Amino acid sequence: MTEIRAPMAGEPPLLEVDNLKVDFHTATGIVHAVRGLSFSLGRERLGIVGESGSGKSMTGRAILDLIPHPGVVTADRMAFRGRDLVQMERKERRKLRGRHISMVMQDPKFSLNPVETVGNQIAEAYRIHRKAGGREARERSLAMLEAVQIREPARVYDLYPHEVSGGMGQRVMIAMMLIAEPEILIADEPTSALDVTVQLQILKILDELVSERGMGLIFISHDLHLVQSFCDRVIVMYGGKVMETLPAAELADLSARDRRHPYTRGLLGCLPDLDHPQAKLATLTRDPAWLA
Amino acid sequence: MTTAAISVDKLNVSFGDSHVVKDLSFEVRPGESYGLVGESGSGKSTVLRVLSGLNHEWSGQVAIEGKSQPKHRGKAFHRAVQMVFQDPYGSLHPKKTVDDALAEPLAIHGIGDAQARIGRALSDVGLPASFRFRFPHQLSGGQRQRVAIARALVLEPPILLLDEPTSALDVSIQAEVLNLLSAIRKERNLTYILVSHDLAVVGHMCERLMVMQFGRCVEEMDVEALAARKPQTAYAQQLLTASEGFRRAG
Repeated sequence: MTEIRAPMAGEPPLLEVDNLKVDFHTATGIVHAVRGLSFSLGRERLGIVGESGSGKSMTGRAILDLIPHPGVVTADRMAFRGRDLVQMERKERRKLRGRHISMVMQDPKFSLNPVETVGNQIAEAYRIHRKAGGREARERSLAMLEAVQIREPARVYDLYPHEVSGGMGQRVMIAMMLIAEPEILIADEPTSALDVTVQLQILKILDELVSERGMGLIFISHDLHLVQSFCDRVIVMYGGKVMETLPAAELADLSARDRRHPYTRGLLGCLPDLDHPQAKLATLTRDPAWLA
Repeated sequence: MTTAAISVDKLNVSFGDSHVVKDLSFEVRPGESYGLVGESGSGKSTVLRVLSGLNHEWSGQVAIEGKSQPKHRGKAFHRAVQMVFQDPYGSLHPKKTVDDALAEPLAIHGIGDAQARIGRALSDVGLPASFRFRFPHQLSGGQRQRVAIARALVLEPPILLLDEPTSALDVSIQAEVLNLLSAIRKERNLTYILVSHDLAVVGHMCERLMVMQFGRCVEEMDVEALAARKPQTAYAQQLLTASEGFRRAG
């Protein structure tokens, strides 16, 4: 894989987002899925955690211009390496998608084309984004399958999605998203459907891409333990709003827990913990003021 | 010696050529909460389906409260054993109200006094009486799972089989459902078998657990050994380490 060059001094961040909003105009009124999210992404692992309905997946989709009708995305600023995404034509956005910014979805079962071999699907991504010929695309795809640690890539290349396991399907998805060598990867619950041991192998692949190629990773998850052990920084979302942004290490730091936002503290508190058994788990009290 | 609530001896299950549960034997004492953990394909859910009578293709011995069970179970069995499924979005009939879901087991077993029992079952799981005539789509995931638990409890069985009861729920809702299950068990002295991939949940809910891999028992341990991180086998240790999150090498 080619190196993405190291950032130069004064270079804009990979991604800047300022006051991002996603609204759905439905028959029963406007649903605010994301309410004013701001962050910037460097060559790092940025975690977005939250429960269902917190707007974390919508954030990932909004960056890629993948919000379906009747959703409306607005932002004061959204820029990829200094290029304004808000004003950009849809056609241009589409060129960025997959080539420069790509996304791994949660469930390979629903995200792969069921009537095409996994190898051809990966090769297609390469042909489109890199304007390459069939043979080169095949070779690159086989190399990519190997890079995501699939044994016997030549055999797996000709399998259909239903013939591969969940863990293998997820690796195929990752191979497909990475073959164009994007600068930013958005991973939406990439390991939630997988067993813990497979999960760790996938994370290792993502981790190496960040540390070795300098990719920017947005890691969307509901799993606090995973995010705190894997990411550099974490955004905690609730009801479409950011509750707080903090270094991941501070999530694990018990002595710093008092300084955490009550929602973050609540989330951490209601997880069962082998080291601190308690007769009754704490439950979360939601404060309407958090969404004010 | 008291009779085991559940005893399984040399259980084997095959689907076609794949042998998914192999010579599995274990016992669960009355009032105990027993965990089954393992990765997908380890056979843990299949064991639960055999115990609940949903799977008829098996060989070996299954005894509930000392009585050996046939492949096809009778009504008496279902009054003793009920199950709560993983996905509350899939396990409730979308066109039946909560009231319908709870009334059906009572009608099947010819139990009178349905009105009062349904009301009690709902209040036991912490749902307001006004929820009784709602449809599943009018409930949140946590509320649906409470309905599923109420449906299992309405026959007042001594044994509950729980198949990943909280893995489809957010962590804050998981805490509420686990608290509910703990409280009900204590109050009624129920016996639980809990299948989960989450060791922390099993550690919180169970007294003993079995780690399964490829349809076999790898190790049976009590929860103290789990909390002390002292499993006897390499596989159980690996599972335990993996569950603690990501570790960067070096």
